[in-house]
Amino acid sequence: MHNSNQTPLSRTARLLDLVPYVASHQGIEIAALAQNFNVTQPQIISDLTTLWMCGLPGYTHLELMDLSFDSGFVTIHNAQTLSNPRSLNSEETIALLLGLDLVIESLPTERSDLRDRARALVEKLSARISINAKLTAIPSAAGSVRALIEDALTKDSWVEITYHSSYSDTVSTRLIHPLELQLEGGYEYLWAICHSARGLRVFKMDRIQKLVPSPPPEAPLYAVDNQAEKTVYVIRVHTRPRAAMERFSLDRDSLSRDNEILSFSSEWVMRSIMASSGSVEVLEPSGLRIEIVKSAQGILDRYNGH
Amino acid sequence: MSRKIERLINLTIALLATKRYLTKSEIFRSVDGYAGSAETMERMFERDKDDLRNLGVIIEVGSFDPVFQDEAGYRIKPEGYSLNLGEISGVEIALLSLAAEAWRGAALDDAAHSALTKLHSMGVESDLDALPAISPRLNPTHSDFQVIALAISKREVISFSYLSAEMVAQIRTVEPYAIATRNSHWYLAGRDIEKNELRTFRLDRIDGEISISQIGQGFDIPAGFDVFASLESDELVNIATVDIRKGKAHLLRVVADSCVDKGEWEQITVRYFDHQHFVDQILWHGADVLVIHPSALRNQVISALEDIVHFHA
Repeated sequence: MHNSNQTPLSRTARLLDLVPYVASHQGIEIAALAQNFNVTQPQIISDLTTLWMCGLPGYTHLELMDLSFDSGFVTIHNAQTLSNPRSLNSEETIALLLGLDLVIESLPTERSDLRDRARALVEKLSARISINAKLTAIPSAAGSVRALIEDALTKDSWVEITYHSSYSDTVSTRLIHPLELQLEGGYEYLWAICHSARGLRVFKMDRIQKLVPSPPPEAPLYAVDNQAEKTVYVIRVHTRPRAAMERFSLDRDSLSRDNEILSFSSEWVMRSIMASSGSVEVLEPSGLRIEIVKSAQGILDRYNGH
Repeated sequence: MSRKIERLINLTIALLATKRYLTKSEIFRSVDGYAGSAETMERMFERDKDDLRNLGVIIEVGSFDPVFQDEAGYRIKPEGYSLNLGEISGVEIALLSLAAEAWRGAALDDAAHSALTKLHSMGVESDLDALPAISPRLNPTHSDFQVIALAISKREVISFSYLSAEMVAQIRTVEPYAIATRNSHWYLAGRDIEKNELRTFRLDRIDGEISISQIGQGFDIPAGFDVFASLESDELVNIATVDIRKGKAHLLRVVADSCVDKGEWEQITVRYFDHQHFVDQILWHGADVLVIHPSALRNQVISALEDIVHFHA
């Protein structure tokens, strides 16, 4: 409940919007009305009482709006002048335009009928606020997939995914235990224990075609929890601090100090250090330092024709 | 306070219902709530007009008698006041509802919700069953997102402090053209006034508040402007030839323009826009990618590798 709901202006706006809402939802419960307008029930009753005094000049029962809400159910009559909803303001229109673009991108490709309808709505709305730029919202991963992954990460639960592997160009179903979402090169990756592959695997988020919550496997080959222990890595940022901050999710104020990061996967840390192109150094564990030198030197040797 | 609100509602109703312009004296005589001296009523009316305009209600000023233009009159045209989306079906309402729902918990949540209330007041039943079960979500973003959204629609110049690659905060003053999101990041594109160039900003790199600049307003947004197309214009494109190990480095393979089989390796050509970013991307793939051409890119990768060895040896 916001305080901004209580200024005279926001109350006036709410009253103007209440009339058409009630007019199109005759008999709605006060509780439902309060919930929709995000205010308390006493506030809605006070709003309705104020409206009760309003109408056309003359202000006899012939001109006043006819509201009834004593029973806990609200009806309104004699309110034709205000019964059409107000036009959308710029902010509302922009919200719908960006939302629609996301909806278009999220609709299955075979539903071109719906995409076309949504595009027509975009045109209608854009014309209203004279925004001639394209408002674009491209989903990072199918909306429903992302929401479910986040849910699984919070609940520490298992999911079954249908995954398109570009490696083998095949679609497979796998039982996985999501561990961590990482952003790399503008793409989102999911690190997970894959029961089907018996190990830690990385999945590109936009290649997960379908996802359903699932009970854990009956007989995991190994205790998953032991495998999923996070390791501490100590890193030092030498140059390009913003890139390092974003890649390793570092705290802005601690960029000049050595930072401890936690990860499930030394592979991810190693790739991330390589992809920092010499701007970030691993201090610990020392074993990883040795591996990194070995790998970098190996690639250098290839460039130098050895 | 209630009296004031009542008066605003009654004024709106009176001005909406009238077929002709109402003069001030008619308003003071007939609309409930105007009382006191002529001066008091005058002041009340001026404030009320401002308040209604702030709510987005368009009050037209005109004269009902073109011959005697001495006294101005006022009215609210219903076609400007009410939501008019033309013929609209339940499926379209459902699509718009889904668009509004995408904001749940994100920057324009309140605006999306009030839009939804208006859409659901049109008396058209939303036909959600006609849509496939998708629930697209927009990511939370900068808390001043609304400021940008409004500035774009009002053509207002904004300024903010932006973190450079070196984490130095610099004040940028921008004519905002569009906002867009991709891969969970939000972008703002517009003309950087000082640099007089088109620039794109990531919203999570904006440090602190976004303010409306006093420099002015009323710029033009290029027709059909598209944030991502502007980021990837042909002028900025570079082409690289790289070898990738078969079955590896899918990220690069999927964006390749061409691909030649070389046995254990494949040679691809790939377009890229930012040198440093591309070097980072190549090194992410470690020993699975080798740059062949151009030599400047190859040298940049080699020197990055030397830095990595230097720091860790």
